[in-house]
Amino acid sequence: MSDSILEVRHLSKAFGANVVLRDIDFTVRPGDVTSIIGASGSGKSTLLRCINLLETPTSGEVLFHGTDITARGYDATAYRAKVGMVFQSFNLFNNMTVLENCMVGQIKVLKKHKEDARANAMRYLEQVGMAPYINARPRQLSGGQKQRVAIARALAMEPEVLLFDEPTSALDPEMVGEVLSVMQDLAKNGMTMLVVTHEMAFARDVSNHVVFMADGVICEQGAPQELFNHPQQARTQEFLSRFRAN
Amino acid sequence: MERLISLGSDIARLWAAYAPSYLKGVSNTLILAVAATFIGCLIGLLCGILNTIPYTPRDPLAKRLVLKLVRIVVRIYVEVFRGTPMVLQAVFIFYGIPYFTGVNPFKGNSGIWLCALIVVSINTGAYMAESVRGGIISIDPGQTEGAKAIGMNHVQTMTSVILPQAIRNIIPQIGNNFIINIKDTSVMFVIGFIEFFATHRNIVGVNLMYFPSATIEMIGYLCMTLVASFLLRRLEKLMDGSDSYELVRTDPLATTAGTYNHPKQPEDLLERNLETKDGGMTHV
Repeated sequence: MSDSILEVRHLSKAFGANVVLRDIDFTVRPGDVTSIIGASGSGKSTLLRCINLLETPTSGEVLFHGTDITARGYDATAYRAKVGMVFQSFNLFNNMTVLENCMVGQIKVLKKHKEDARANAMRYLEQVGMAPYINARPRQLSGGQKQRVAIARALAMEPEVLLFDEPTSALDPEMVGEVLSVMQDLAKNGMTMLVVTHEMAFARDVSNHVVFMADGVICEQGAPQELFNHPQQARTQEFLSRFRAN
Repeated sequence: MERLISLGSDIARLWAAYAPSYLKGVSNTLILAVAATFIGCLIGLLCGILNTIPYTPRDPLAKRLVLKLVRIVVRIYVEVFRGTPMVLQAVFIFYGIPYFTGVNPFKGNSGIWLCALIVVSINTGAYMAESVRGGIISIDPGQTEGAKAIGMNHVQTMTSVILPQAIRNIIPQIGNNFIINIKDTSVMFVIGFIEFFATHRNIVGVNLMYFPSATIEMIGYLCMTLVASFLLRRLEKLMDGSDSYELVRTDPLATTAGTYNHPKQPEDLLERNLETKDGGMTHV
């Protein structure tokens, strides 16, 4: 078990009386690309936000290299610096240029020198094809461009795991491709990723582990070939048949 | 018309006799208003930040208690200083402190300056605290989440991400407070502070030319506030930055990674178009 990066154990989350996650269990190992799929409202995003401590789990544990991050007094900021997150709505800093967005975390959190941070930011911006836009502000970019900058910003922190919260759901159809191909590249290069997505093709073809959620529980999980071709649960079959029909 | 001409000549006479006094009053008003608005903004920022420090049930009890206490103290400060007239606050502090302590910290002219500065500053601070709080909560929570997600703590999130945007949004409010301060510093006459309006009181006390002097005051105040709002608008424009940006031409070798799907690279786009055209033609 020590080879896992993240281990979610019996995780539950309730907002008041409304229980949105129930007894979630799964493991992320280095190099894994895990896709979390399921209908809207099934708790996928909440699960991801609990893993990044943007929401406080009601009970259960999230182990990062064997240490429980939900324990009282755990240093959440240091943990978040090692676990990158890409949001559905990008959340780029509106008061900064593209380059500054990718530098600020390195300078403030990792205490890097400005020149190092700049060189590093440029490297990742080139990787996502946004290097020509370093002087632009977020409001001047298209959705797909913003999301690629957001990925570069997360990568610039050199995280051990990258969490994606529906990274393409807010994008026009023609911009989805540019973001997915950047993510596919990352997966090829061995980045450990945990992706909440509605892109079934991505879940099937890029990830090596798929988690299907329904009504706050993990209904089924396994290798993508297994889950997509031979779903065991009725809920999974129903969900996937709707996807195939499209 | 006759009256206007005589008003003009009265103003001219007043100005000839008392110009240095009026100008001294203007400068005192402006110095006090600028300094107090500035300090008031700092107080407001501090209160706004203290008021918005988040805590969760996960945090230790001591931290939660301290934060709750801080919020209560800030709340009381805001309510008391926003809810009582500044003229009374000045009297309260100027005479109250010597009354209770037996020591007068506000001796002489510099003492009056100090007291006026304190009163106007904490008054502005009480208003700004609410404006800052409004400015902070008006920023999309996604900005905070983005900052948290790269490991920033509360102070870093505030100073690097939230406050620069919040301050930009509350500049109209700061302008409001500055203009109010230019006018409302006049109530500091109760503690003997000689600013623009007190100058007028002193001058008409000697020669009884109330209306001509009041006209000078009106024009003077209007000039000050117009200049202030002009400068604040310039500041807003400056903070918004340029509407355009320049594309950086980078080394084509350096951009190879990831550009295959880059819609804005002209050469790339061209190649792809050619491919599809060729493909289409062979099929036809």
